[in-house]
Amino acid sequence: MSDTLLTTTGLAVSYGAVKAVRGSDLEVKEGEVVALLGPNGAGKSSTLRAIVGLIKYQGSVTFAGEDLTGAPTERIVSMGISMVPEGRRLFPQLTVRENLLLGAPRKAKIDALFDELLEKLPILRERLNQQAGTLSGGEQQQVALARALMSKPRLLLIDEPSLGLAPTIVDAVYQILADLRKTGLAMVIVEQEVMRVLKFADRAYAMTTGQIALQGRAEDLLASNEIKKVYLGGA
Amino acid sequence: MDALISYLVNVISLGGTYALLALGLAVVFSVLGLINFAHGELMTLTGYVLLAGILTGQQFWVAVLIAVLACGLAAVLMEFAAFRPVRNASGATLLMTSFAVSMLLQVLFQNGISARGQAIPVPPWLTTSISIGNSQISKVQVMSITIGILALIALKIFFDRSYWGWAIRAAADDFEVVGLMGIKASRLISFAFLLSGLLAGIAGVLWVVQRGSVDPLMGFKPVLAAFIVAVIGGLGSLTGAVAGGFILSAIEIALQTWLPAGVMPYRDAITYTVVVIILSFFPNGIFGKRDQEKV
Repeated sequence: MSDTLLTTTGLAVSYGAVKAVRGSDLEVKEGEVVALLGPNGAGKSSTLRAIVGLIKYQGSVTFAGEDLTGAPTERIVSMGISMVPEGRRLFPQLTVRENLLLGAPRKAKIDALFDELLEKLPILRERLNQQAGTLSGGEQQQVALARALMSKPRLLLIDEPSLGLAPTIVDAVYQILADLRKTGLAMVIVEQEVMRVLKFADRAYAMTTGQIALQGRAEDLLASNEIKKVYLGGA
Repeated sequence: MDALISYLVNVISLGGTYALLALGLAVVFSVLGLINFAHGELMTLTGYVLLAGILTGQQFWVAVLIAVLACGLAAVLMEFAAFRPVRNASGATLLMTSFAVSMLLQVLFQNGISARGQAIPVPPWLTTSISIGNSQISKVQVMSITIGILALIALKIFFDRSYWGWAIRAAADDFEVVGLMGIKASRLISFAFLLSGLLAGIAGVLWVVQRGSVDPLMGFKPVLAAFIVAVIGGLGSLTGAVAGGFILSAIEIALQTWLPAGVMPYRDAITYTVVVIILSFFPNGIFGKRDQEKV
């Protein structure tokens, strides 16, 4: 389809003899929010890491009509894919400003980008000169999001945005994601909080042991007994 | 009082050189997880290029500049020829490669130049002293302190204000995520080697001018000291490299100055005992990360 942004075909990732992802086929359309669900070890994070070229994989990755299979991470980022890694992984010794500036392309018009971001995330303005490692978990998640947005991506991959955050902070993070969605940014969200992400996403893929077990519209999956059985312990 | 002034001058002079060397090691460790033991041979190369420059009639400062730049270039070439092919190999492989490069360069210096030391003809104005109170401080030491401090200030500005400075500091925290910032890994590694080489070059000039000669094996002792400095400070920590440089220097010079003559042969043993005691309180170095993942 012409509005398809990202396609993975037969994506497989192995760590030695352990097969983490066993041939997954994903599709993300322009402006779409896709959830990637699954228990620990299902292969969700490995899938994201493969898409951005952080790990070797088999299969192919196409983005905006271009084959990115095996491309180095810097090219993938320059093409318009950005990632917020699990645990946020800010550079703790660097200030918030330095973290953000590293996320921007070297020749970007930094001031305009900065103003745009600080409008979306005003809390960061007060923290610009603070070391990132001294921020609270919620603030760090905002910086991690802002840093990933500095490259002006068309697709944002977010690994566990609610990990380690209090429920009220998670609400705030999802509110930011909702605002970003309005800008037309496509997202793939890996999340263990199944109910929350299914209420937020357009579509979802559910992985178990490295394979896609279920896929469909998020609201359909939300109502599906199978999802409840597999991920919510039959609730 | 004079003894104290003399002590401090010596500590700052040697500590600055150690700090520059350890920073060179730390910068490469930040991006590659490698302690480059061929760093000492980069210093030796600087000494020979400096000697060649002076012998071919260059002005002293021109010869210094050429030597430092040559050392930076040599470090980039070293990365390209020796380390890039094994970049994704284990830490042990990288370490063995650095030893191999170190040995290779030593043999090249021995057979291509001379196995014997060569005197560095420093300009006459550098051989005089200045007086502070009743203390005499050689101009070589004044030069060493001045260049060392200026280089450290320049580095501080570079790491705080420049994009590549942030990138190297970020790499020390999390090299993989630096890639997610769209920074090309090979470019960052080349840049780190260039910076490391320039630092080895500056330290090399200070080292050979102070000892007055260059020989093929002279790089071993300072690189070993720089390694210890980097460990005291915390491997990969840039602040730690500077702090460690002055700590090791303070210990060495104190023992050199005040140790009774009968115990002097044990000076190095005592130095490293003190280092071990420091590390027993700070197992990952004073500024080191608690969980060190790199080798």
